[in-house]
Formats: sequence, C-alpha cells, structure tokens
Amino acid sequence: MLSVFEESAGYRSVLSLERLPDPQRTHVMWATSKDFGMSGLRFGTLYTENQDVATAVASLCRYHGLSGLVQYQMAQLLRDRDWINQVYLPENHARLKAAHTYVSEELRALGIPFLSRGAGFFIWVDLRKECEKEAVCVIMCASVKYNIRGPALIPRMKTKHRIYYITLFSIVLLGLIATGMFQFWPHSIESSNDWNVEKRSVRDVPVVRLPADSPIPERGDLSCRMHTCFDVYRCGFNPKNKIKVYIYALKKYVDDFGVPVSNTISREYNELLTAISDSDYYTDDINRACLFVPSIDVLNQNTLRIKETAQALAQLSRWDRGTNHLLFNMLPGGPPDYNTALDVPRDRALLAGGGFSTWTYRQGYDVSIPVYSPLSAEVDLPEKGPGPRRYFLISSQVGLHPEYREDLEALQVKHGESVLVLDKCTNLSEGGLSIRKRCHKHQVFDYPQVLQEATFCVVLRGARLGQAILSDVLQAGCVPVVIADSYILPFSEVLDWKRASVVVPEEKMSDVYSILQSIPQRQIEEMQRQARWFWEAYFQSIKAIALATLQIINDRIYPYAAISYEEWNDPPAVKWGSVSNPLFLPLIPPQSQGFTAIVLTYDRVESLFRVITEVSKVPSLSKLLVVWNNQNKNPPEDSLWPKIRVPLKVVRTAENKLSNRFFPYDEIETEAVLAIDDDIIMLTSDELQFGYEVWREFPDRLVGYPGRLHLWDHEMNKWKYESEWTNEVSMVLTGAAFYHKYFNYLYTYKMPGDIKNWVDAHMNCEDIAMNFLVANVTGKAVIKVTPRKKFKCPECTAIDGLSLDQTHMVERSECINKFASVFGTMPLKVVEHRADPVLYKDDFPEKLKSFPNIGSL
Amino acid sequence: MQSWRRRKSLWLALSASWLLLVLLGGFSLLRLALPPRPRPGAPQGWPRWLDAELLQSFSQAGELPEDAASPQAPHGGSCNWGACFDTSKCRGDGLKVFVYPASGPISETHHRILASIEGSRFHTFSPAGACLLLLLSLDAQTGECSSMPLQWNRGRNHLVLRLHPAPCPKTFQLGQAMVAEASPTVDSFRPGFDVALPFLPEAHPLRGGAPGQLQQHSPQPGIALLALEEERGGWRTADTGSSACPWDARCEQDPGPGQTQRGETLPNATFCLISGHRPEAASRFLQALQAGCIPVLLSPRWELPFSEVIDWTKAAIVADERLPLQVLAALQEMSPARVLALRQQTQFLWDAYFSSVEKVIHTTLEVIQDRIFGTSAHPSLLWNSPPGALLALSTFSTSPQDFPFYHLQQGSRPEGRFSALIWVGPPGQPPLKLIQAVAGSQHCAQILVLWSNERPLPSSWPETAMPLTVIDGHRKVSDRFFPYSTIRTDAILSLDARSSLSTSEVDFAFVVWQSFPERMVGFLTSSHFWDEAHGGWGYTAERTNEFSMVLTTAAFYHRYYHTLFTHSLPKALRTLADEAPTCVDVLMNFLVAAVTKLPPIKVPYGKQRQEAAPLASGGPGPRPKPQAPAPNCVNQIAAAFGHMPLLSSRLRLDPVLFKDPVSVQRKKYRSLEKP
Repeated sequence: MLSVFEESAGYRSVLSLERLPDPQRTHVMWATSKDFGMSGLRFGTLYTENQDVATAVASLCRYHGLSGLVQYQMAQLLRDRDWINQVYLPENHARLKAAHTYVSEELRALGIPFLSRGAGFFIWVDLRKECEKEAVCVIMCASVKYNIRGPALIPRMKTKHRIYYITLFSIVLLGLIATGMFQFWPHSIESSNDWNVEKRSVRDVPVVRLPADSPIPERGDLSCRMHTCFDVYRCGFNPKNKIKVYIYALKKYVDDFGVPVSNTISREYNELLTAISDSDYYTDDINRACLFVPSIDVLNQNTLRIKETAQALAQLSRWDRGTNHLLFNMLPGGPPDYNTALDVPRDRALLAGGGFSTWTYRQGYDVSIPVYSPLSAEVDLPEKGPGPRRYFLISSQVGLHPEYREDLEALQVKHGESVLVLDKCTNLSEGGLSIRKRCHKHQVFDYPQVLQEATFCVVLRGARLGQAILSDVLQAGCVPVVIADSYILPFSEVLDWKRASVVVPEEKMSDVYSILQSIPQRQIEEMQRQARWFWEAYFQSIKAIALATLQIINDRIYPYAAISYEEWNDPPAVKWGSVSNPLFLPLIPPQSQGFTAIVLTYDRVESLFRVITEVSKVPSLSKLLVVWNNQNKNPPEDSLWPKIRVPLKVVRTAENKLSNRFFPYDEIETEAVLAIDDDIIMLTSDELQFGYEVWREFPDRLVGYPGRLHLWDHEMNKWKYESEWTNEVSMVLTGAAFYHKYFNYLYTYKMPGDIKNWVDAHMNCEDIAMNFLVANVTGKAVIKVTPRKKFKCPECTAIDGLSLDQTHMVERSECINKFASVFGTMPLKVVEHRADPVLYKDDFPEKLKSFPNIGSL
Repeated sequence: MQSWRRRKSLWLALSASWLLLVLLGGFSLLRLALPPRPRPGAPQGWPRWLDAELLQSFSQAGELPEDAASPQAPHGGSCNWGACFDTSKCRGDGLKVFVYPASGPISETHHRILASIEGSRFHTFSPAGACLLLLLSLDAQTGECSSMPLQWNRGRNHLVLRLHPAPCPKTFQLGQAMVAEASPTVDSFRPGFDVALPFLPEAHPLRGGAPGQLQQHSPQPGIALLALEEERGGWRTADTGSSACPWDARCEQDPGPGQTQRGETLPNATFCLISGHRPEAASRFLQALQAGCIPVLLSPRWELPFSEVIDWTKAAIVADERLPLQVLAALQEMSPARVLALRQQTQFLWDAYFSSVEKVIHTTLEVIQDRIFGTSAHPSLLWNSPPGALLALSTFSTSPQDFPFYHLQQGSRPEGRFSALIWVGPPGQPPLKLIQAVAGSQHCAQILVLWSNERPLPSSWPETAMPLTVIDGHRKVSDRFFPYSTIRTDAILSLDARSSLSTSEVDFAFVVWQSFPERMVGFLTSSHFWDEAHGGWGYTAERTNEFSMVLTTAAFYHRYYHTLFTHSLPKALRTLADEAPTCVDVLMNFLVAAVTKLPPIKVPYGKQRQEAAPLASGGPGPRPKPQAPAPNCVNQIAAAFGHMPLLSSRLRLDPVLFKDPVSVQRKKYRSLEKP
C-alpha cells in the first residue's frame, strides 16, 4: 500500500487473503528500507507459517539486533498513523509518481522498452537490445567496479599479480562465507524438530543386563489412592496447572544369559511415547517431572517375561517403589485365567489399563483406557448419519465362548432378519485377509464395514474384558451393547457411557433384544452420534488415548483447573448450540438489597443534579455512583451536590471512554445496577421502582425502558436497526436500564473481539454491545418495561433534525452488523411482550395501584 | 618501497584472514565430528526411529485367544451391581420398595420416615412383589439394632439404610445387601453398588427443609474468602492475606483478625475448607452447601454423597491437602465466572437433594431406580441442573429437549404449536364458542375435549379445521391433569368449558409462553397471603397489585406438568384435589412453583374490566369465584409440601404497544384492547 502511487491501482494485502496458496512456501516480508527510504535501518518483518524458516531467521536476529533507541523511534513513527496517512503517504506517492513519470518518459524517448507499473521503486528495463548493439551495459557495469570499488581494494599492480591476488582473496572470502554459513545455519535448523531428534535405529539402543537376583517390586497395592501413593510434591510448582511428564530413554533389557526380556518396543508404544513427547506435558528434565513413563513396553502382557520386566522396572533411576510412574497396558493377563490387570509386579505405579474389572480397578487412581484397534488407522469409515439401519443387532466377534454363541444364535432364530450373528470364515481361499472378513453361513461380509449396517453391536467379554472391537463399533457409529459384567469402560472416570452405550448384565443376555427395543428412536440416534464422537475424540489414535489419559491424571492433580463434564462429553455440535447461563439459579434477590445507580456524566452539571435528585426519590435506591468522565474539569465541590438520603460517590476516570459506564467498580455493592444517563430526567420514581421490581424477577436479563429492534434487510442483505413503534423488541437502551453487576465484569473483561475498543473509538453503540453481550451469554431476551418509547424530552426534538436522525440510524445499523460478525452469530432474541404493573390501565381505583404514575411515552 | 610496504600489509591481511578461516572452520569441523550434546534450552524429545515403520504391532492381528473364558463366577466377599442384584423382579413399573416394619417401639422420626416412604410412589406392601427390600437402621441412639429379617435371602436385593453413622453392632452379616450410609470411607465403599449418603445432623427436617442461604448470585464484596471448620464445631473466617497457610496449625502464629463463630451458625465466606480426615467433617460439608459457601475438601477419605449421579466438580473443589499454597493461590485466582457457577450449584444441590430427610431418602431410591432402568435412567444433565432428578422424571422422557427446563443448554426451542384441552364438567354444555375461538389461533395443533359429566356425549361437534378428540373422563377433577397420550404438543392450553377467550388473547399468551416454557402463563390470577389473625395461609382471588397463582381454567403450561402431577404427587394430595375441586388450581400452582422456584406469568385478559365475575360465571364448577375457595386447602397443601413454594409477581406481560396512543393499525394484537 505504501508504494502504490497509481490511484487507479487497487491494493490488496497478502495477509488479507483467506488462506495463503502454499502456506509453507509463501513468506511475506516488509521492511522500512523501501517504503520509508531508510535503507540503513535494518528493520523489517517476516510473516511465515513455515516453522523452520521462522526459527532460522529468528536465530539470525541475534546478530542484527536493533538498538532500543531505534526501536523506540520506529515505534513512534509507525504509531503516528495520522502523519503516515495524511502527510507522508500522499507526499511519498506524489514524488514516486513524479520520478516514475520522469524516468519512464526518458526511457520512452530513448526507445528502451520497460514495464510500466503503478507501484514500486524500480523500473524493469529491458536492455538486452542495447547490450547487443553496443557494449553499453558492460561499460556501465565495469565502470562501477573499476571506478568505485577497484582502486580502494586492489592496489594497482601488474595484471599477473593482480589476477593472482584476486584469486587468493576470493578463496579467502569464499572460505569465510562458507564458515559463516556453517556458524549460523546449523544453529537455526538445529532447534527445529527434525534436526533435534536423533534418527537412530531401535536395534542400536543400549543393552542392559539384569542380574537374576536384582530386586523385584512388590505386587500392586490395591488400596492406593492419589493422596496415599502419589507424590504430589513433584507436581507442585507449576503455574500453568499442567503436569510434566518424563520419558525414560529406550533400553534393551536382557537377562543373565543374554535373552531379551521382551520385544524392545511395539509400534503403538512408540507412537504413544512420541505423542507424549510432542505434547505440552513433556519435559526432558527428570528433576522437574511429576510423572514418569518408562519406555519398557508392557502394552501386551503376552509378549513379555513377567519377573524380568518387573526387575527392569525396579532398576529405573527414579523408580522409588513406582511412585508417580505410569504404565500403559492394553492386553492384561494371560492364559488360562486372564487376569484383568497387568500381572507384572509394579508396587505403587499407576496403571492405565484396558480391561479393568471392578475387582482390580483402583477408583480414582488407575485409568481405564481402551484397547486400541489397529483397524482405526487402516480402514477409513466415513461418518454415517444416525437413523435406522439394515440390521437391528449384530454380533461380529469371533472366538466367542460356545455358551454365548448359542445365546446369540437363539436370538437370531427368534428375531430373524434383524439380528445378524457373524463368525470367522472357514472356507476363504486367501488366508491373509481373513481378519477383515466375517461370515454368516455362506454369506461373506466385509469387516468392519458391516458394522455400519447395524444399529446395535454386541461387545461381549472374551477371554479379556477389554475388547478392541469396541473401538471398531464406535467408529462405525453403531451403539455398543456391552455384555461384560464388572467391566470398567474406557475413561469411565470422565466419559458418560450411558449416553453412548447400553450395558446389559450377562445373565440378561437372552432379553437383550427386548431391552434394546424399549429404547426410543430419538435416544438411539443420540447414542449413535455420541458413539462416533467418542471414537473421534478418545479412541481413534494412540495419541488420542495417551492425551486423554494424561488429561485425566492432570485433572486429579489440579482439580480446580479440571475439564468439565460437558467438555468431555458433549459433541461439538451441542457445545456450539448450547448456552450456559452464568446466572442459572432461579433466585429472586431480596428487595432490601436495593440497587446502585451509576450516572455517567461529562460536564452537564445542571442536568446531572436534576437526575440525582429524581433518582434519589426511588425507594429501593441504595447508592449513587457518578462516573465523572471529564479529565479537563474537576467535578463540582462537595457542598454544591444535592443532598440525598443515600451515599453518593464520585469516580473520576483516566480517559473519556464510553466503556467507563460499564466498569465493575468496587463501589458497587448491590447486585442490581441502574445505568442512567445524565439527561434522563423524564422517568418517574414509580417507573424506576417498578423497573427494579421487574429486574428482581428477571435478574439475568437487561431490564430497560425504550425498546429497539434489529431486522434483516433483505434488499441490502444485512441487519438494520429499527427504532420505536414496532410490535417487537430485541434490545433496550441503556440510557436507563437495570442489570446484574456481573455483566459489568463481562463487558470490561470478556467482551469478544475488538468490540470494546471499537465502541470507545466511535463513541457510540455501547448499549447495543451490552445487549449483544447479555443475550449471547444468557440466551434470553431483554425485558422492556412500561410504555416508554424514547428518552427525548418533547422540547429537545427541535435540535436534532431529520437528517441527524437518519445518520444516527445508519450508524446504529452498522454497529449491529459489526457486532454480529464479531460474535459470529446474531444472539439477540426478539419478543413481543413488555412488562407492565399488574393493574396497569385496568379499570381500578388509581390510588389503590402500587405504581400509579408509570409515565408516558 | 611503497609497493613493498603495501605488499607487506597485504600479506599480513591475507595471513590473518587465513588464520581466521582455519580457526572458524576448524571449530565447525570439530562440531561436525563430535555428536552434539543436548542443549539445555530446547527439550530433547522421544527419538524418531529410522525403523519406526518396521516395528511390530503390540497385538498381532487376529491374535485372539482361542480358548475364550467361560462366564466368570462373581468373586466371593465383594459385590457389584451385576453380580449381587437381581433386576428380574423390577420389570414393569420400576422400583417397588418394601420396608420392613420395625420390631418393637420406634421413635417419632422413625415413624415419620416410614410414613414418608409409604406415601411415596415407590412403596409396596407386599415383600414378594417388591424388587427392593429396605431395612431401616435409624434409631442408633436407642441402641436397638434391627435383627435379621425374615426375607433376608443372604441380603439379595436388600438395602440397609443408615442415616446416622452411629455404628450399629453388626448382628448379622450384610452379605449381598447394599449399604446406604453417611460418608462411607473410600476403602469400604463399593462404587456402583453402595450408596453414599450425606451426613445429616440429628435435627435435620423431615420434609420441606430450610432453603439455601444464598441471597445473591455473586459473593458480597468484602466477605471473607475462606472459612475454616473448627474441630469443636463452628466456623472461623480467615483472610488469606494474613497467613500463608491458614489451616495448618503449625505455621500459624497469630489467629489474626479472624473471627470465630461458635455453634451451628452457617459460614459467611466464599470458600469453606473442610478436612477430609474425620468423617464428622462431612456434616460441615452439608452446612457449607446450605450457606452457599463453596466447599473445598482437602483429600477426602470419604465418598461424597450420591457421587454416583452428582457431578461434584460443579459445586465443590476437591484439593490435595499436601499443596496448601497451590490450593490457596488457585482459590484466590479463580475466575468470577467459576465462583458464580459453583455458588449457584451448591444452592441447587442443597435444595434438590439434601435439605430434608425425605429428599435424601427419595434420592437414594431414585439412584437405585436409575441403575435398574439402565438406558432409560436420568441423563447426567437432569441430575445436575435445576430442577434436579427428583422433579424431572425420567419416565416422562430421557431426552432433555422434551422437558421445559433444558432448552438453553440443549440449544433447542419449544415447539411452535399447542394443544387445547377443554374440560367439560357439569352441567355439560359443549363449548362451541370456545372451540371456535381456540381453533382460530394459528398456533393451535389440536383440540381435546375432556368430557367429565353425567350427560352422554353429544353426537355432533362443530366443524373446524382442527383435529378434535373427545376423551371420556372419569368425572374426577384430577383427570384434568392426566398425561393423555393423545396430547402431542409440548404446550397445553388448559381450559374450562365456561371460559371465554378471544383468538387474539390465545395467540399472545402462547407467544409469551414460548419465552417461558417452564412457567404457567395464565389470564386470571389469585394470591396467597399470610393471615396473621388465623396464623395460617390465606387465599384471595381479589384483584390486587400482585399475584402468586394463575387459574388453570385458562392457562398455558408444559405437557410435562401433567406427568409430574399424576406420578410424583403423593396420593393423598390428589385425593384432596378430587374431594375439594377448588384445590386443584392451588395444587397445580404449588407444583409448578416448587419446580421452577419462580412465580407464574399473567397476560392481559379483556373481559376482566367488563364484568366483575370472570370466566366461570354461573353454577358450581372447578373455579366458582364467589364461593370461598377453601383457605385451609392452601394450608393443607403447604403442610404436605413442607414449605410454601409460591412466589409473588408484580408484573403483567402486555403486547409491546398495548394501549399506547398510536394508531390501532400498527398494533399486532389490536383486539386485545377492545372494550
């Protein structure tokens, strides 16, 4: 923009593009040297999404630092928008244009072709033709070298010597440049991830020999709880409420005879440790760590030797009876009795295990995790919307106990087509794919695709309680019917499995069909959606499993920063649609508390005093706060203020900003706040008192007098502000409005986007912003009280004419559009009612009414 | 000469450069040769193995144990729900509870608790038909503990209810019985099987109970941040600024400005620190809850009450006592939004589940019923947001959108249609005009006529475009609030055959109801008042400046209240309504107010100005205005509820341009203003 001098040429910033064409290879640079002609000043910016480039360039900055003085000057220069926009740019553009015109005319006169563009400091000249004709360019180039640089650097010598010296110098120069490159480049690349992490083979890890008599940890202690077995002091010093996790280096353990204790590491465990290492939890400093993850892979108990693995654990450098150590195990137990927790003695170590039963699970200490299904990564099952499917119930497990299979087949016989019981295929020609096939009699089905054809999928206990099929079922959006007594479902500490699954006791297996039939269709669809969401969030990758496990432990250690039930369980669609009203408790505040009136004033002292006197007549007023927004003038002396029956406080502000009206001043002691302008003198005492009474019944809403409406303008395709005389309201003016003081806190500290600054800059629409804020956070409409339509006193109308009124409306419409785009939605709610006193305009003796003088329009 | 000097300097420069080159280059080469040491700044992550792709999976695909284990026998000694509870007896109408009669003389409290359970919808008199057998073990102070009951059957399907944790000498083995006791220790508690109760003080009210103490949503400015429980009872407030670890006696030199409140006073602070060691501290927990003081539990060794269903992270903070400074800092820095939410949740939970013995017992039974129901149990949202699971029946629906309370949380809206339910009592004239008026409303979906008098059903009904259903009632007034399956919309417009409404009035009232789907929106009102002279509640239908009830002879409300009226009210109250028909209005208003804790809403009614006697103008009916509407009816119902839930409102919702001096053409509901 700075160097575009051609007025007709449009300018569009690269950064305003929705997305960069190739973000990894598009780098946006800008520096002052061109636009401000300050080429000596090495100040510029680089915008890039390429992390490697950013770190590389960042490390160069060390050698090109700017002095504080220059930085200050630059800041001053760039901050002075008025000067740049009104003085510098026009002048610069004019000069550039003049220079451009001059050069291009000269070139044209000489007949040299060039590119004429309306921007930039250079002209692209095509000298090829000239160069062919004469040796003009050679001469030009040469003259530069010889005349300027030549004499200073290279002494006049004989040509032979000269060439010799030049060669020598160039070699030295090249060498220096190369060295410099070496010095600087590796630095920058080193700090990026790829260089940093050693690339080695798993086979090359150090070997550790475990003597046969090395100590074995004790068996797991079933009474362990966080406050008895976990050393929380290690996690104490962390301002971010995030635990630090250390991973032991990978070793290969062998026994006395050199026989390995286990497979060094499985693919999944490697992924798991990589995920932890890439997360915010990771630390490489063993002294700062709160949780230790051994790199000894115990995911599958069948692949390891129990005693020797335990010995390997015991010799870890910080083992200390397993305190704060976390082991991940998905397949516990072994034949024949298949224990439900890892059999490796592990003392106090926490166990993240798949397949816990109520007997082995230490509530609040262990974490129940899913058994990862490798099919999650292999098979891409696109999400299938909820709704009825071809089969009602399907069983796709192989290797079921015959007793269960009989039960299932009995179901199939009884209910026919809607139940499908699948088994291993026995007659497939190619054996390799048999895990991806299931058969029913002679019919062959693709697994896991077939699960998408069913509403409910049986997940029966096998030899182990935890089954990888649970993950496949969830991925297919099929509702799991878990038939495994005493099984602790994955992440059951935080996930609400009632919303995504049906748990049926094993002895009720024959009734399973009728149990499922009794579930209403709507609930089934909800469960299908929830099942898929659980898979996406917590099952689909090893990384998701690892991070959820760490988050659960983190939440136990920092409970005050824990993630809520809704965040764990609500699918994104529900999270976006729902509103959690901050004032959800139905509570009518006691009338005795009263309200605090806040009057924002600048210098209209006379009118202010009248407002104060009027408002002080309202019975429930408990305090009056005057916000003096004029920095150039002192508020009147104490003696001049009207004498009223409640405390009156004057707050002076540092800057004349509209948002000062909505600041949560410590002086506000009541929950109810009446915001009132310093010229609102027309409201009667009855009207204000009634407004307060209405607020008590609706403490979570804005309660105001004149109502306004937003409308969708179909012609302009945007929102429009509508003033009085409509049958509906969606906003109230805050020239006089009651609201909860908590909204002051929200307005000042939690207003989305730049709305607050925008309002202060434009000195308008602070009331619309407040209406948006309250409606957005509570999801409720405003309450308009009494018939009042405007705040203007009849005699004031002469001052602002029609045109002023119209610009006002345009500005207010702009505000609505601006705010709606910042909020990303239109939070305002339209209603058709207003609140009046019970007997308002009823045929009833006036003097018996509580609020006889309710005011006019 | 000069040339030599120049040459010399040149050589010098050249050799210097070479030296520099060798030095710098040498270092670089050295660095390349030696493996780099980890630098302290950037963390050294888990290595990216070159052969990561070649690693084997932890479970070989298809590696499934061939010898699948047979169904496991339950472990001896311990129990869980699947193993030790037989749900086969509980099919049908959910949980049926039989209570063992007490052996020998019983205390007054015991008697009243028995009566309360017998009056509830769970109770049955036959031990054979019951699915849960309840053994009350209440009177610890008398020293008499129940002996082994007859139907014991190793404790299967039994619940031993111990309200007060005075240990009863174990006269018999509990076996497979579930135990509901106050503050069980974490080690003995069997999750999903036992029920954790709150630690109730001796004088806990049986019914109704004191409301929460919270007067305002946000903490009062200037109140103490922390209150500490004292071992001798009472609370001591502490300013966190004064001492670094206010609850640790060792580091506390000066009690400072903290004040000690003796006795059973409630703490006045934002947070209440409660020790987790002594189970007696659990009674402090309840106190804090009532006071709206956010409980901060330090490493509790006991299970929180009803932890199976209540999400305590929304109302309390469980912290580690070993990190006092961190906890303190976290409390000080807690965002106002979180404090606000926690405070409100304490009040909601107190009021919904803990404020009376009756509520605690009903909650216990509801928890067990939810286990039996499985998929049709209360969703977590119903337990953890107002009005609570005792008032949001899962038998009505398990989808929160079907209830009037959760539209905001669900991002849903109430339906745009209503069903008119017209009750035709004696003398039994078909309400032709009324049907016309209601059918004229654009929001009307169907009209139901509840024929409830001796005369035969008329054969012909007026021609309307609306579907019209006639239900033959049982001539009981409580029939009006029966959850008829033919009602298909969320909103019900309840009408009496003698009501008279205009289409415009119906339309406007319905639009208002859509904004307040959980409340009753009515046209005619009445109020209750405290009658000093008689020392009881009074009732008036006079026009006053405030009201607390709307007449159900013309009112909009949510269909759910029919279910609640029929299935949750004690039978005695419904009988009362049948016997004194004027009470049915009062009863419905009590019910809705007890659920919403809010007053009903009044909308303008045209006829009121015209004539003094509204709606029901002649003959005896459900709301004959001139007759005194039995003031003792209000008292009876209030006694049954245990408290007075009704609240007064001083406002009426009118159309925005109601009676404004502007052209009628502008107004949407212009006929509302016709004289």
